[in-house]
Amino acid sequence: MGHTATPPSATGGLTATEHRLSNGLRVVLSEDHQTPVAAVCLWYDVGSRHEVKGRTGLAHLFEHLMFQGSAQVPGNGHFELVQGAGGSLNGTTSFERTNYFETMPAHQLELALWLEADRMGSLLAALDEESLENQRDVVKNERRQRYDNVPYGTAFEKLTAMVFPDGHPYHHTPIGSMADLDAASLEDARTFFRTYYAPNNAVLAVVGDIDPEQTLLWVEKYFGSIPGHDGKQPPRDGTLPEVIGEELRQVVREEVPSPALMSVYRLPHDGTREADAADLALTVLGGGESSRLYNRLVRRDRLAVTAGFGMLRLAGAPSMGWLDVKTSGDARIADIEAAVDEELARFAEEGPTAEEMERAQAQLEREWLDRLATVGGRADELCRFAVLFGDPQLALTAVQRVLEVTAEEVREVAAARLRGDNRAVLVYEPTGPEQPLAEPGSAEESEPVEAATVESAPPARAGQDAQEGSSK
Amino acid sequence: MSDVVPAMDFHPQPTAGQPRPWDFPAPERGALPNGLTVLRRHRPGQRVIAVEVCVNAPLEAEPAGLDGVATIMARALSEGTDKHTAEEFAAELERCGATLDAHADHPGVRVSLEVPASRLRPALGLLADALRAPAFPDAEVERLVRNRLDEIPHELANPARRAAIALSGALFPAGTRVSRPRQGTAETVERIDAASVRAFYEAHVRPATSTLVIVGDFDGIDVDAALADTVGAWTGAPAQPFRVTPITADDTGRVVVVDRPGAVQTQVHIGRIGPDRHDRVWPAQLLGVYCLGGTLTSRLDRVLREEKGYTYGVRAYGHVLRSAPDGSGAALLVISGSVATEVTGPALTDLWQVLRTVAAEGLTDEERDFAVQNLVGVAPLRYETAAAVANTLADQVEQQLPDDYQAGMYTRLAETGTVEATAAAVSAFPSDRLVTVLVGDAEKIAEEVRGLGIGEVTVLSGQ
Repeated sequence: MGHTATPPSATGGLTATEHRLSNGLRVVLSEDHQTPVAAVCLWYDVGSRHEVKGRTGLAHLFEHLMFQGSAQVPGNGHFELVQGAGGSLNGTTSFERTNYFETMPAHQLELALWLEADRMGSLLAALDEESLENQRDVVKNERRQRYDNVPYGTAFEKLTAMVFPDGHPYHHTPIGSMADLDAASLEDARTFFRTYYAPNNAVLAVVGDIDPEQTLLWVEKYFGSIPGHDGKQPPRDGTLPEVIGEELRQVVREEVPSPALMSVYRLPHDGTREADAADLALTVLGGGESSRLYNRLVRRDRLAVTAGFGMLRLAGAPSMGWLDVKTSGDARIADIEAAVDEELARFAEEGPTAEEMERAQAQLEREWLDRLATVGGRADELCRFAVLFGDPQLALTAVQRVLEVTAEEVREVAAARLRGDNRAVLVYEPTGPEQPLAEPGSAEESEPVEAATVESAPPARAGQDAQEGSSK
Repeated sequence: MSDVVPAMDFHPQPTAGQPRPWDFPAPERGALPNGLTVLRRHRPGQRVIAVEVCVNAPLEAEPAGLDGVATIMARALSEGTDKHTAEEFAAELERCGATLDAHADHPGVRVSLEVPASRLRPALGLLADALRAPAFPDAEVERLVRNRLDEIPHELANPARRAAIALSGALFPAGTRVSRPRQGTAETVERIDAASVRAFYEAHVRPATSTLVIVGDFDGIDVDAALADTVGAWTGAPAQPFRVTPITADDTGRVVVVDRPGAVQTQVHIGRIGPDRHDRVWPAQLLGVYCLGGTLTSRLDRVLREEKGYTYGVRAYGHVLRSAPDGSGAALLVISGSVATEVTGPALTDLWQVLRTVAAEGLTDEERDFAVQNLVGVAPLRYETAAAVANTLADQVEQQLPDDYQAGMYTRLAETGTVEATAAAVSAFPSDRLVTVLVGDAEKIAEEVRGLGIGEVTVLSGQ
């Protein structure tokens, strides 16, 4: 049990302490008494990169099964008990991790700890064929709703498969394929639990209006007796050459509303200074309505209705820089590609101006403040840095690191990575009778905000989800 | 399988500790000399400040044939002012680390600013410029019109949006603004130009009929001075609020299928209208509708998702279109979700069975208690951020509700019993008075749906 704390002055007043139970569970606590709420967040160091051929989607399907009851919690009890206590909860699965989280009124914190411990230690006592069959259908409908039944819905899956070659652990996305979802068996789920769900493969963060000493006593009481084990298989190595070496290209002819250009560039691994520099480069180039590509493609050349860059940070493989451009009117993809390449070349040559750096750093700072504005957001970031980089304190200084990056570093990473021979390109060409509209219309709000929602994942600016949720 | 018998020590489910008091943040209400109403609330620790401006420019105020002009005007507010070109404005805003969004809806135009507290002053200056002196350059308005025309096919290709548009079209009388898309159709948007945008601005955007809500950590900030120097300089003649006409709907049970050949799911939108927040039944309606479809353990998902696996989730909710003490407002009550194409018939059969069962047997006390505990208990979580508080305060302003409305809602929910919640749920979704929109593969689903007895079926071409 070690205590370390980053001085509050460097972190905007946030501090965190670290502890370790004898079974290997790492615990991070952070106090904040502004509002009577407490967040519990548990990251398991397992994601779709740990899946094997023929069983894609298993980590996410398994995450759904974690809500189907455990030894002392029948049926949908995890949802019922948390929501009945005035809390909110969900779970998500990405390439690199699976997380489960509750935000509770502060006086209900102990219940959330008890629930998380119960499923960490005893899921298999409740897991049965009926739950598996039901959640298999639910997840297949999740796949249809979010990917297969919406225009451009499978673009992320296609580009991921191009930028990470066949056999690479990140070649497939967390949602998995229909065939593999059909093939998953109860024994697969059991084996998955025995392999990856152990206290020594997890980090627990508790943030908010808490008494740290009491919280630690509860954590020890509920989690302390769960045996650790060394069953975990490390993921296959995700290292790849920094640059692909050629442009990979695929043309998709589908019934979509307009032609589109989407590409993914291989970028530095998350956790490096170069990744922060790349984030700034993408922000200057395509991070908002004052970005170079927006000004060029949407405002001046009027080739596009939307144009933006987003970044999906990955620690165990190259991060992904995601460009998404939808055409305006009868604009041609070739003209858009030429304009994008011209802007990238100019940026690689000149780098960002001082004003652009100031704007990009201000934008990323606000995004970071937004993430830290809720106890749940803070708990998730503490877990992220603990699981992926071994040190939760790094979460509290992350924005400082972005502000230290220089314009020359931004230029260098752009010159090295944002190149034609380092991207996978997807071009959408519409087919079918999509143009004549019997009933022209526009946006209506569709979903209420009150229901628990699956959080949207980075790259937020490009509007692409990279993780799967367990409820909606 | 030794670990099916867990090795851990079990403890009984813990009981709750002592709740710490929490109240919905009450705003301080005031006004600037120019007539702008201001609601403010200090929230310690919230370093991103949220500002909402409610402008009394309802969609119904749009001139005939110019649906979408409110939307284009809202977007054009940030496309250049008397001090900055459009590109400069965007750059200055981002230099503050700020976001500025503006959109038009039935109650009015909303402008939302979020900015780190350290840069509040310059960001408020930009917001004030946008409201006070938008330039509406011809070229920028023309580009916004083209962008809007580009967006429409994307919206129609999205099943959920397509269904929402079709539901409004079916439910509300032809010729009413509420029956038509909020952001206009291709036909109406094409007619919009800088002159019509400016005319709409001149007619409806003024401080005297607007309210500014500001929430966040004001530590070290002179909010009065910041407002006086910025939005305090906005001028405009006094005016009466725009008078809207009451919302009505035809809830004759019927089905509209919007054909989407090859769709692997059917998008379902089932709706009608009901009372708004001024009606005494609102808390009971909120509870009853939550019991039906508020979460995945509610009645609908318990069957459709967790028993049958037909869907990733179905939700029931009430969305306030407009709300006013004179009874002219209404809420759109909706059940929505998507189900696999091949189980569309069985899913709708089960859905109607859930509604009929609630009508016949009522909700249970356990369901009502669970809903109250959730809806009341989540309040401190839901209002953690400045943006969430500002948004609800602004909704209250737009809906002509008192500033303590949300605070009082928690008491009223706790006082609402199972019988009232059941009655409100049944009257929200009577099984024979529902308009159903299905966006899906008509060839595969229409015949089956005709046999369900949920109303006459019309098939619309999706193209």
